[in-house]
Amino acid sequence: MVNMELNREKHADELFKEFRETSITEFFRKNRAHLGYSGKLRSLTTVVHEIVTNALDACEEAGILPDIQIKINALNSEHYKVFGADNGPGIPLKHISDVFGKMLAGTKFHRNVQLRGQQGIGVAGVTLFSQTTTGKPIKVKTSTGKGKVHEVELMIDITKNKADILSKKEYSQYWRGTELDVELKGVKFNLSERGPSEYLRRTAIVNPHAQIIFIDPEGRKTVFERSSEKIPKPPVSMKAHPKGLEVDDLINMSKVSKGRKVSSFLVTTFSRMSNAKVKEIQEHVNFDLNKNPRRLTWAECEEIINAIEKVKFLAPPTEGLEAIGEEQIKNAVLNILDPEFEAVLTRPPKVHSGGIPFLIEVAIAYGGHAGRSIGDGSKYEIMRFGNKAPLLFDTGGCAITKAVNSVEWKRYGMRDFENSPVTILVNLASTHIPYTSAGKQSIAEEKEVLKEIRFALMEVGRKFQVYHSRKRRALEREARKQILLKYSTALASGLAKLTNKNEEAILKELQNLVEERITGLEIEEAEEEELEPTLEGESEDNSETHGEMEEKPEGEEEVE
Amino acid sequence: MERQKVISKLTHLGKDITEDIMLHQSPGIRMPQRGIGNIHFNEKKNLLELGDKRSTRSFLNVAHSRKFMQTILIASKCKEFVSRDKTASIRELYYQLKHTIADTKENTFDDQSESDPLIVDLEMALGVLREELHLKADDKGTLIGKITIEDSEDFIDCSKLGRSGLSIPSIVEHYKFHDVEADYILVIETGAMFDRLVEEKYHLKNNCIMVSAKGQAARGCRRLVHRLNHELKLPVIAFTDGDPWGYYIYSVMKAGSMALAHESKRLGTPKMKLVGMTMTDIDTYGLDKVTEKLKDIDKKRINELLQYPWFQNKEWKKELDLMSKKGVRIEQQALASKSLEFVAEEYLPEKIAKKQMLP
Repeated sequence: MVNMELNREKHADELFKEFRETSITEFFRKNRAHLGYSGKLRSLTTVVHEIVTNALDACEEAGILPDIQIKINALNSEHYKVFGADNGPGIPLKHISDVFGKMLAGTKFHRNVQLRGQQGIGVAGVTLFSQTTTGKPIKVKTSTGKGKVHEVELMIDITKNKADILSKKEYSQYWRGTELDVELKGVKFNLSERGPSEYLRRTAIVNPHAQIIFIDPEGRKTVFERSSEKIPKPPVSMKAHPKGLEVDDLINMSKVSKGRKVSSFLVTTFSRMSNAKVKEIQEHVNFDLNKNPRRLTWAECEEIINAIEKVKFLAPPTEGLEAIGEEQIKNAVLNILDPEFEAVLTRPPKVHSGGIPFLIEVAIAYGGHAGRSIGDGSKYEIMRFGNKAPLLFDTGGCAITKAVNSVEWKRYGMRDFENSPVTILVNLASTHIPYTSAGKQSIAEEKEVLKEIRFALMEVGRKFQVYHSRKRRALEREARKQILLKYSTALASGLAKLTNKNEEAILKELQNLVEERITGLEIEEAEEEELEPTLEGESEDNSETHGEMEEKPEGEEEVE
Repeated sequence: MERQKVISKLTHLGKDITEDIMLHQSPGIRMPQRGIGNIHFNEKKNLLELGDKRSTRSFLNVAHSRKFMQTILIASKCKEFVSRDKTASIRELYYQLKHTIADTKENTFDDQSESDPLIVDLEMALGVLREELHLKADDKGTLIGKITIEDSEDFIDCSKLGRSGLSIPSIVEHYKFHDVEADYILVIETGAMFDRLVEEKYHLKNNCIMVSAKGQAARGCRRLVHRLNHELKLPVIAFTDGDPWGYYIYSVMKAGSMALAHESKRLGTPKMKLVGMTMTDIDTYGLDKVTEKLKDIDKKRINELLQYPWFQNKEWKKELDLMSKKGVRIEQQALASKSLEFVAEEYLPEKIAKKQMLP
């Protein structure tokens, strides 16, 4: 596996050669949208994303509970300074240039693992964005905690794609972490749903092990407290599954294969590929699979891909999938949304597009700080995540949005879903998320993905329904009690006059009786719920149960 | 019923409920069901009667709680009236009981229409009459004719009350009848026709007692007619407008009403007959010029009457079918098209003599 990855990185370097002839700024300019730098607000959010992602990934790999701080200062109109700090493992001096000063170094693009950083181009993109908009270097302060701190100012030498270190300082101090100072122009900060604050709020929800502090340009400080001490396992890189392979993937892999035969190349490179499967593939192709893999032609690769279509494979192993976990999401939701009700669900892994593993996690939070408050009312809110990374843009075309809107929330007791104080969270974890476009902000409507999201939402919807009907019945019981107590005083006074008995004594017993009956109903409902949790409203509708609904039929009343 | 017994019944109701409360049982008032499902037409007696079905008004059922409380308030107030030997109008009762419920903005009663039906409920629950609860409704109806009525030791000669006649009170239980010189009782729907007949001295010329119901007959009026019929064996003849509303007024006096089905045998006069106006009168007396067209609501009402069991005989079916067919109604006062005296001198005497009457 390790070999394979090295090869892949070489491959990325080869790719890079192709555009080195043109300028790297040209590449950036042409691909801005793909890289997340389109629009003033979105560019700022992307910068925050890159810094936070870098910190979270580094902490995860080093097994550190992350403490992250982001501070944004407004310097001028559309001119901001972003400061990011973490308590991560720090970056050794020799790697600083690679991390911050080299485009596509250590790219995650073609590793078949699930990482947050599937969006964007890494933190070097921040350097490039900063220098192209302000002409200024970024400032990095980092230490691995062994007593030496490095402070470096750097830019990217765009013709060599390598860091251009402008200043370097080293001093002794026991501290660990990384700090970053960047200046940006042509960006804009606001508190909207697509801005950095919402990005961080959502990041906090799916990273309950992180503490995130945010200070906005107005100086307002928001602390998203850590709600879990459990550091997620770093994702395992794994062999690619044959289903979902493209011809160019196959040819690129074959070129760097160490195998002597195509058959052994296939068996060693791909997941779920046995000798028996290779034999099956052989039956569908018109050349000998004993040939040298490095000599495979495009046409032959195409034949193999077509053959793979016809052969059945076991579903890929799911250890590459890292769910956030129900407990973790629940803690974070409670911590950040403080809802009146919440339900969380992690569905078992499934495959999409013929073989790519994925799993769906959903949460529903109702009341408290859930939903978005608009004036006096509330509005629903959908939090979309792809491998724990918040998806803030391209909401409309996203499979998550479509799935949420396709659920008949009315059936689950939410009469006016759109105006309810409700947050729906959906995380799609997959080794390959089917984004609709290179912007990676919106998930394509793969049938299996859509179906899974719907199932998951319906399941938490049912839990909400049980809660909601229980709450409604409690309210009804309370209303009932209030009605009975209201009329009790007048009734007691009437009875006292009729019987010449003590009014107080009658009233007291009457109030006791009412309390006792209402409590009795509560117990009855709880018992019924155990028997039939989904049949809401049964107990109330069925008057026979209590024998108290013999309403006098309305006869015509004669007024004289 | 003696006052003491009524008081004891009221006290008992309160004691039973208080006992339920003390024993933490659901407090309830049992009473006969008053819905259409518990009202039958007794064909032998020609009366609407209440069946045996009973229901319970339960305080713990929030749909009943308010009415329950109100019923008890009425009972306690009636106990006070009976104890003090005072009689109050049902409107006075309403005002006596109306107050704001403690700690709320809600009234014990919002409207008299809330208390009136509960009085009937209480009557039925206890098996006592409204009069026995010392409640009365407004006076409605007038009587004139050769009869002396003894009322609280006063003797009223109803033939010597000028053209006004005796205003019929809501309670007539205490009336005693003396010096009756009448062959029958004529019950007239409208006050205007009553006045016409008084001016024509119809009651004197024809030796009858005339009663004006003034629309739908009140309980006092119905009870008085019932007593005159039962105690003095005087036949009763009704004279109403020739429309479904007039016929219904007749049927209520004759067979009872659904709302007061439990009182039919005290209020109804099953042997009563109707002299007019009828549809056949239109042809007989050439009145087609003075009819009025039926409105939709009249037509609907005709169909309703046709469903009532007490209209299920061939004479009435014929009459109602004829009304539908002709599509007209005719008022009592349309007879004035002949002459003012026509009704008193020709129409009524002739029809009554010939016994041209509907059952």
